[in-house]
Amino acid sequence: MQLNPAEISDLIKSRIKSFEAVTEARTEGTVVSLMDGIARIHGMSDVMSGEMLEFPGNTFGMALNLERDSVGAVILGPYQHIAEGDTVKCTGRILEVPTGPELLGRVVDALGNPIDGKGPINTKCTSPIEKVAPGVLWRKSVDQPMQTGLKAIDAMVPVGRGQRELIIGDRQTGKTAVAIDAIINQKGTGVKCIYVAIGQKASSVANVVRKLEEHGALAHTIIVAATASDSAALQFIAPYAGCTMGEYFRDLGEDALIVYDDLTKQAWAYRQVALLLRRPPGREAYPGDVFYIHSRLLERAARVNVDYVEKATNGAVKGKTGSLTALPIIETQGGDVSAFVPTNVISITDGQIFLETDLFNAGIRPAINAGLSVSRVGGAAQTKIIKKLGGSVRLDLAQYRELAAFAQFASDLDEVTRKQIERGQRVTELMKQKQYSPLSTAEMGFSLFAANQGLLDDVDVKKIVDFEAALHSYINANCVELVKRLNDTADYNDEIAGQMRSAVEKFKSTSTW
Amino acid sequence: MAENTTIARPYAEAVFKLAQEQGDLKGWSDKLQLVSTVIAAPEMAAFIGNPKVSKEQLAQLILDICGNQFDATGKNLVTLLVENGRIGVVAEIFALYELCRAEAEGSVEAEAISAMPLTDDQQKAITAALTRRLGRNVELVCKVDESLLGGAIIRTGDLVIDGSAASRLTQLAKAMLP
Repeated sequence: MQLNPAEISDLIKSRIKSFEAVTEARTEGTVVSLMDGIARIHGMSDVMSGEMLEFPGNTFGMALNLERDSVGAVILGPYQHIAEGDTVKCTGRILEVPTGPELLGRVVDALGNPIDGKGPINTKCTSPIEKVAPGVLWRKSVDQPMQTGLKAIDAMVPVGRGQRELIIGDRQTGKTAVAIDAIINQKGTGVKCIYVAIGQKASSVANVVRKLEEHGALAHTIIVAATASDSAALQFIAPYAGCTMGEYFRDLGEDALIVYDDLTKQAWAYRQVALLLRRPPGREAYPGDVFYIHSRLLERAARVNVDYVEKATNGAVKGKTGSLTALPIIETQGGDVSAFVPTNVISITDGQIFLETDLFNAGIRPAINAGLSVSRVGGAAQTKIIKKLGGSVRLDLAQYRELAAFAQFASDLDEVTRKQIERGQRVTELMKQKQYSPLSTAEMGFSLFAANQGLLDDVDVKKIVDFEAALHSYINANCVELVKRLNDTADYNDEIAGQMRSAVEKFKSTSTW
Repeated sequence: MAENTTIARPYAEAVFKLAQEQGDLKGWSDKLQLVSTVIAAPEMAAFIGNPKVSKEQLAQLILDICGNQFDATGKNLVTLLVENGRIGVVAEIFALYELCRAEAEGSVEAEAISAMPLTDDQQKAITAALTRRLGRNVELVCKVDESLLGGAIIRTGDLVIDGSAASRLTQLAKAMLP
């Protein structure tokens, strides 16, 4: 690109014009010791907890430990150029990140700086990373669905807007895949998404970004990345930074979805910072407030009422409710959900999606354990059609699990038991779904309808997946009106049931799979 | 440094209370200053913490150097500090003692660093402004640092009021290169 000299001098001129040198009155301190990204600072008698500190060389830190004669601070970023005896200035501000719609489609670090090489982000507002969650008076109960596009989740563990639903499982069980599918499914719904990557490989983050881009989901998504090579302090603050960016949309009366991938690593990063700050270790060497770091973070995901939005926007937005839905991810070690951090987060969230290695290896993907996965509030937010048709899925699977052990004696079993086993096998097959292919409400409705009404009973178990794919392409081609009606209203009544039945029966009589 | 301050605080508070009881704030200040100067002397480093020099010898040595300016309580303080192995923090004790003293006397020391020597009127104006802001009697100490180019920096305790040309230029540089 050819540089235009006039442009540059204009730019400089405007910068000089708008520059206002102010005489600053700030308190200062000196670095007493520095190790592993932690600085002990002498002085700064009026520093606040969580305040942004200015180190030499345009480096910033955050004051975490306020002791009688010293301040313990973490340095955000590289600290090799800082030396003992350097001056540290207070800024009088709690750590802030940029917020706003300009961040959509971008990849930023934990401080909101762009790291995707697409140039600077001209955001208009900044906001503190630590904010208190809205109180009881400002909340509204969850009653709108946040569709993930995954049959198994939307039918059995529905997520509502403003809910916190934990995704928990061992490594390599498809936790991220579930979250990414949920983000992709928000395309065109107006729901803004934030994906916070904590302590992951930079290559994994790049993969996620590429996949989102391929499926046209990057335009409504902000990616906050604190990769494994970033300092523990950045990994610790990344979820709060992402949450602040999501709250911006919530407070404007819009809906947002945030994925924390994953909070186990954030707890590890916090453990490192806390131990280096010489805070006393507790269970599993985590500091005493490891519950609070997650509870205060997840409490900020909420559905807020009309009054709150009106107050937050100073009356600019009236009559709209906002929501921030959180999908935190926790990685367990060897399926142990009774470890410290998993139990904490399970107790904070409104339900969990439990993914299992055995199911994953058996080819059931998403590998959701239907027995252990629950959603405590999502039922109120399900669409009518999914609620009506999906209700039996859980029951079928539960009955099947009890009888599955007898499946090999099929010939000796009575008729009822055999029917239940066959239904269970078909529903299990039907719950399988490919990655990056979220379903619309109508497609999901037809699949569940077929299982519910016994229309799958004469289909071979091995052919269920093919049958479903063929059914979806058939209804999308031949029942356009019904599909549109279902997608728009998600209604269900006898008339719709009749239309659906005739469509499926016609499909079965005319098509092959 | 921070740890030393923590160690020095009880000593400084004890000395200050004693001085208040005796009504001799200035005298104790002189004594502490003298001891800290003696301790800071490079020759003394060989004796402090040397296992071959017993504590009694070290205490006697310090008292000998300080001469006969010390009364019984002053001697006791030096012996106590040596006994407890804390003679090394006497400089911090002195600094904290001075803070307590300034607090009690309602005065505060301020340092004005300017690019050019300040005139008497300027000094008066700064002193008056600081007195208003801090609500204390300000003792102004003036210094000249040509690298500031213009303006002045005023320092009192942790508070720094930076109105120097050098820092404005740094701010401008930051604003130009975001």
